Amino acid sequence: MGWGLAMAVNGRLVTDNGRMTDGPLIVQSDKTLLLEVDHEQASECRREIAPFAELERSPEHVHTYRLTPLGLWNARAAGHDAEQVVDVLLRYSRYAVPHALLVDVADTMDRYGRLRLEKHPMHGLVLATTDRAVLEEVIRSKKVAPLVGERVDPDTIVVHPSERGHLKQVLLKLGWPAEDMAGYVDGEAHPIGLVQDGWVMRPYQQEAMEGFWHGGSGVVVLPCGAGKTIVGAAAMAQAQATTLILVTNTVAARQWRHELLKRTTLTEDEIGEYSGARKEVRPVTIATYQVMTTRRKGVYTHLELLDAKDWGLVVYDEVHLLPAPIFRMTADLQARRRLGLTATLVREDGREGDVFSLIGPKRYDAPWKDIEAQGYIAPADCVEVRVTLTESERLAYAVAEPEERYRFASTTASKTRVVEALVERHRQDQTLVIGQYLDQLDDLGERLGAPVIKGDTTVKERERLFQAFRIGEISLLVVSKVANFSIDLPEAAVAIQVSGTFGSRQEEAQRLGRILRPKADGRSARFYAVTSRDTVDQDFAAHRQRFLAEQGYAYRIVDADDLPSLDAS
Amino acid sequence: MPTYRPRSLAEDLRARDDAALGALLRARPDLLSPVPSDVASLAARATTRPSVQRALDLLDRFRLQVLEVLCVLPEPADEATVSKALGVDAGAALTDLHGQALVYRDTEGGLVVPRTVLDVAGQPGGLGPPAEQALLVYGPRRIARVATDLGLEPTGDPVGTARAIAALFLDAQRLDDLLATASPAAREALDALAWGPPTGRLDNAGREVDADTATTPVEWLLAHGLLVAVDARTVVLPREVGLHLRGGLVHREAAPAIPEHVTTPVDQVHVNRTAGGAAATVVRQVEDLLELWAVAPPRVLRAGGLGVRDRARTAAALDVDEESLTLLVEVAQAAALLAAGDDGVDEVWLPTTGFDDWQDSPVSARWLTLVRAWRDTTRTPGLAGARDQRGKTLAPLGPDLDRTLAPVVRRAVLADLAAVPEGQATTVESLAERLRWRAPRRGGRLQDDLVTWTVGEAGVLGLAAGTAVSRPARLFAAGDEDAAAALLEAALPPLLDHVLLQADLTAVAPGPLGSDLARRLRLVADVESTGGATVYRFTEASVRRAFDAGWSSGDVADLLSRHSRTPVPQPLSYLVEDVARRHGRVRVSAAASFVRCEDEAILGELLTDRRAVALRLRRLAPTVLAAQSSADVVLSRLREMGYAPAAEGADGDVVVRRPESRRTSAQRSPERSAAVPPQPKAALLDAAVRALRAGERAATVTVSRPTADVLAMLTQAAAGGESLWIGYVDAEGRGSQRVIEPVSVEGGHVSAYDHLRGAVRSFAVHRITGVSAMDDQPAP
Repeated sequence: MGWGLAMAVNGRLVTDNGRMTDGPLIVQSDKTLLLEVDHEQASECRREIAPFAELERSPEHVHTYRLTPLGLWNARAAGHDAEQVVDVLLRYSRYAVPHALLVDVADTMDRYGRLRLEKHPMHGLVLATTDRAVLEEVIRSKKVAPLVGERVDPDTIVVHPSERGHLKQVLLKLGWPAEDMAGYVDGEAHPIGLVQDGWVMRPYQQEAMEGFWHGGSGVVVLPCGAGKTIVGAAAMAQAQATTLILVTNTVAARQWRHELLKRTTLTEDEIGEYSGARKEVRPVTIATYQVMTTRRKGVYTHLELLDAKDWGLVVYDEVHLLPAPIFRMTADLQARRRLGLTATLVREDGREGDVFSLIGPKRYDAPWKDIEAQGYIAPADCVEVRVTLTESERLAYAVAEPEERYRFASTTASKTRVVEALVERHRQDQTLVIGQYLDQLDDLGERLGAPVIKGDTTVKERERLFQAFRIGEISLLVVSKVANFSIDLPEAAVAIQVSGTFGSRQEEAQRLGRILRPKADGRSARFYAVTSRDTVDQDFAAHRQRFLAEQGYAYRIVDADDLPSLDAS
Repeated sequence: MPTYRPRSLAEDLRARDDAALGALLRARPDLLSPVPSDVASLAARATTRPSVQRALDLLDRFRLQVLEVLCVLPEPADEATVSKALGVDAGAALTDLHGQALVYRDTEGGLVVPRTVLDVAGQPGGLGPPAEQALLVYGPRRIARVATDLGLEPTGDPVGTARAIAALFLDAQRLDDLLATASPAAREALDALAWGPPTGRLDNAGREVDADTATTPVEWLLAHGLLVAVDARTVVLPREVGLHLRGGLVHREAAPAIPEHVTTPVDQVHVNRTAGGAAATVVRQVEDLLELWAVAPPRVLRAGGLGVRDRARTAAALDVDEESLTLLVEVAQAAALLAAGDDGVDEVWLPTTGFDDWQDSPVSARWLTLVRAWRDTTRTPGLAGARDQRGKTLAPLGPDLDRTLAPVVRRAVLADLAAVPEGQATTVESLAERLRWRAPRRGGRLQDDLVTWTVGEAGVLGLAAGTAVSRPARLFAAGDEDAAAALLEAALPPLLDHVLLQADLTAVAPGPLGSDLARRLRLVADVESTGGATVYRFTEASVRRAFDAGWSSGDVADLLSRHSRTPVPQPLSYLVEDVARRHGRVRVSAAASFVRCEDEAILGELLTDRRAVALRLRRLAPTVLAAQSSADVVLSRLREMGYAPAAEGADGDVVVRRPESRRTSAQRSPERSAAVPPQPKAALLDAAVRALRAGERAATVTVSRPTADVLAMLTQAAAGGESLWIGYVDAEGRGSQRVIEPVSVEGGHVSAYDHLRGAVRSFAVHRITGVSAMDDQPAP
């Protein structure tokens, strides 16, 4: 008794039964969780909340997690129940947790698994329920009705195997996500082994692969440069089956091929490339999103690839970029194990729910800063350089058409001068200049005397230049957004961004990722974003930077005029 | 044959002792206003319809059941027969009912129910009227035919015949024999009506049938008086028959005890914390609400209340759902923190001056103000959004949201929640069920809704978590409000004076901030999320807002460095400097407006022009004058003077005045009507009982004393503050006896508190027929 005698001990509030009310976590009414990172229990608490809360921001002092239905269902899928979640919230929360929020958590989690997709010994794929009212509710929905067949018994209804993915999507939208227990086909067996000579799998890669394999299907979230390809290779070695790998573009496809040859027992003949240039179907086939989504007369012409082999595993690289047609195709691949790899679940189009229902729940994630702290990715120093426009440029900007303004502000001559100064400053470092506008890039290439890689550069030429850059023959490359994804430039230490795709947050993350691979000499990387002051360029930059700032990569902002003193202090 | 037992309620009351009379008045306080002059008028008052209704509304289910049994049984009844018809012992309940004068005893101790009580009780237990009464709707001929069909000899007197039929029905053996001859279909019809309601619809019920002309089972029943046609389409089951079919029980099941709480164990520490957190939250939300409305007050709808759009807008701004918002505004109004005021054009909702005092109090005191107002208000936030009979949506703060039942139910539910042991939670259904048992006549849909709303609102207001109450709430329910507030205060997190600044341009206050710091941060940054902590986001717009309000970059930097535990992040300093740079380097001061002109000479002219004196111009810089008059006034004055001044826009680099934070005048809480008269104090009860006794004696003793004695006694009583009873004849010559407490005796008149009227009035001494001291009356 004597609750009223709560007393201050070291300035902290203690209740009579000794329960500290001084946890590291603060629960907000908008369902965000604030985690104070300097708190002694912070890392313990982070581990406990990570399964059910999405990390939204991780700046230096207070990390923000968010409770979302998807996150809670992810946790259910991983075997956590509402009681655990509530207990964790209460245990670590510094202040009282609103009762309504706890009730809501329990209600939301309770919705997952009321419906299950199962294999029925006689009827094949069925939708079964533990709660008849829920089944009644969903089969009355107009969207569900065409996807289900005959009622086997009051709690079971037949589902056509081809509608497995579609049904899961619809049920998620109705707020009754189905647990997919129907299992997977093994696929055609194919021996694949990891060759760990001179390298070993990092602990988090091992955990990520195990998390995925245990869950059956799902998404692994790792920062750029953290070695997602290895996770994919390990999953293939685990599956011991033919594998289809879907990647963003041809360069990325070559990169995967290169990595697989290096890391696994697979030989040249066992890996096929299915792209615009080649159409090889081998036990391990790497296809590009582009070729898969090519249509002729409104028909996807390369769909047969999906049925060309009895795939045992499908790997999706860069899940957050997965185009809509691939989602539709994926709906038909529900009987196969699916592994999604990505640096972020943030999709600019908001289709996170489709990733959840079609590829699977999130099975593993680790924040960038954690992996950086373990030394697996290089620390980065981000600097926004603000360029003050000349009077005449400002006037020209002011009278430009609104749709031309961004282009104008991104490509001013003042900016070019600053880029030249930056390049000069980093003469000794491997440097990338990244931009959006081709004429700007050509102009920069000419002024800087550097080769330019853009969309129309042949694959062969690209690879030659990348190789030269890799071995230090050339130290400066100007690249367009073709280099955004999946190219490996191990020694790039400096990146200078001159323009981007408006306010795209994930593009910024990708570009930063280019320089995060660990450097031989352990130096930190430098990422410059050059912006024109008082223009939309600056506003878009602020939007782009928000994602990185929230990942703990804070930008410093300096005026171009102050550049000489940048590293003085 | 009933013996004649001449006795009335008044006689029964007269025989009771003072304690019993006091108990009666305490149980039925409405009898006290005004104090009845004597026992006869007390008895009369106690049997008026409104008073009986009020008393019955307060009876619990079991006492009502006992009363219904009494209504059903032939008079006079005794305890044993009541208990038998009820199936359980009715002793204690009968004592209560007798104590409340809803039942009285005749000379032989038999229990009699007064007429009004019978009427108000209605169809007791769903039984029909007694056979005799029911049959008398028939003409004599038909009564005789029923009697004949029952094998009775009609007496020629319809009343006598009906009584004989009733007597037959009372004889269990003969009634059983009669029912044995009924067809199965007829039995079925009877059984359908047995447990009430006792009436059934029948087309052509008025047709006169007898045993020979009856063609259907129901007509057979009509012929034998087992059903009686009360009009052309309704038949009723006579009470005696119904009771017999029920096996002599009036109720299917007696409910002698209140249903138990259905409880589940909960962590009491968690409940206390959760409720404490909610308490702090609701206080903050009310504060935020009123701060918001002080600056941007919503209009009062023409029909009263708050508009749909204002409700949605405010709910979004406060990050609460609309139901919670309705509760917040209603509670704020009930606590007299919010009222309709005038902004010069429209009627708008504004915080009152009381809000400032409230804001200055500690959180626990503010919380207490809110929960007290909530508990006692007749306003019913749960009704908002529903539609009235005319299909109009009921607006928050609008008319038609008052329910006298609301405070009654809130108190009852709080008390009942507090009755659940610590570490246990009950259920809403359980609370409703128990309340229905406590006052079944009052119940209905509204009561059940009120229970649900009360539980939900108690959660929002920090009295409960779910259906378990916190310790402060227990104290509050028990009436120990200060202790409740003290307990809450001790559990509240301490106020902080620092925030954590981060490079993503956010500031996190990891706990409640002092209101001054919170207000300043709200100005310079946008609130992104609230709860245990507050997250602020600095944007260009928010920083500019601070500059607009007169801050300099130095002020912002000072605020940040003084209240941040960590170094101010570079991007944040940069943002502040950048905004300051673009703010046009304009110094912002507290002048009402300013005048700017490139031509220094013109400003010089203005400064010396007598016509501009009223503007109180001051030169800030060679080309700038500050004015202490508003921009409108300055503009129009300058125009009058022949200049062509232009107004500078608010969105550029000029001073923008913040809207003033406004208040309406102090307001009392809205009037509320009391559903239950306040519990009388012991002293009043004593006085009332003594007055009754005095009245009794006045009625029986002729009071007469010489005028000199009268005067002396009056003067003495006035000096000593004693009460007297007097005989008095008014101007119309009506005599009465009263108990008065003289205040002064002057000019042939005595001013005195008249216990009969409950007011001070003046009596002419010459009309006083006699005086008697209260004390010299021997105790009865």
